[in-house]
Amino acid sequence: MKTARLGRLSAGCLMGILAHGTALAASQGTLGTTSTGSISIGASVPNRVQISNLADVSFTNQDPSVAASNAQNVCVWSNSSTKGYNITATGSGAANAFTLSNGAATVPYSVEWAGSSGQSSGTALSSGSALTGLTSTATNPTCSAGPSSSASMVVKITSASLQGMQAATSYTGTLTLVVAPE
Amino acid sequence: MAAVACALLSFSSPALAASEKVRITGLGDVAFGSIGNLGADSVRSQSLCLYSSSTTNGYSVTAIGTGPGGSFELSSGSLSLPFEVQWSSSAGQSSGAQVSPNVPLTGQVTTATQQTCSSGPATSASLIVVLRSSALSSAMAGTYNGSITLLVGPE
Repeated sequence: MKTARLGRLSAGCLMGILAHGTALAASQGTLGTTSTGSISIGASVPNRVQISNLADVSFTNQDPSVAASNAQNVCVWSNSSTKGYNITATGSGAANAFTLSNGAATVPYSVEWAGSSGQSSGTALSSGSALTGLTSTATNPTCSAGPSSSASMVVKITSASLQGMQAATSYTGTLTLVVAPE
Repeated sequence: MAAVACALLSFSSPALAASEKVRITGLGDVAFGSIGNLGADSVRSQSLCLYSSSTTNGYSVTAIGTGPGGSFELSSGSLSLPFEVQWSSSAGQSSGAQVSPNVPLTGQVTTATQQTCSSGPATSASLIVVLRSSALSSAMAGTYNGSITLLVGPE
């Protein structure tokens, strides 16, 4: 008999706990001239980054006596609490080197990155090594609202390298950029 | 005396019928979880029981959020994430009429025949919560929480 009472008491306590739990969650309405219910809503937004507005780089009829430089404004967006990000660049040369090739010969180029737009120089990137501690001002993943760009990328070929290139020959390569939130 | 009692009962019946009542039940919390694709709308809908004893089975529903002025906003500390609320007077819907905070959505009619839908249709309305991609893609990373209160009245 005591056992039975204890059982009912435990069930009652459990009901109370459950009732308390549901009070913190969805609540159901009662029958009346008005009826009120409520629900809780939860969502988690994970860390995300996006790089966009990248353009191909083309150096044509470059004077070998003058170093070549091409700067472009790009959009990097980060939704982390600090809007921070890091960037890693790799080239299409041997061991991901930053080199262009005409099939027979290669020429090196360099890549610089600045965490603000409109820059003609920045911090030199090393292939495969992340440049950390960057912060974005972008408020939209593609900069379609807010700042239209948030970073600068500069590709350079030294005069010495240009002088080593064969004239009237096309050298090509690909640069890959990977951005991650910080 | 028995005849008098019967007369009183039949007299009081119309007075009870004149008291229009409503009830909202079957509500569930909405958990979006971790939203992987911030470039697409995230939608959660649920079917619930809305009962009205009015002669037309009509009702209005008013939603109040936990944002400023009852707006529909989730919060994560000082950060906020707006959302939308839609309502359909039929069950199983993934979209419905837009609900504005603190503004009754009128002209709704229920098919529920029992106050908790324990008989007849199991559900009679749909509540839809929408997180727009435009809001998600501009939101800072974090865990956002909030609630909405639904007030129903007969029509």
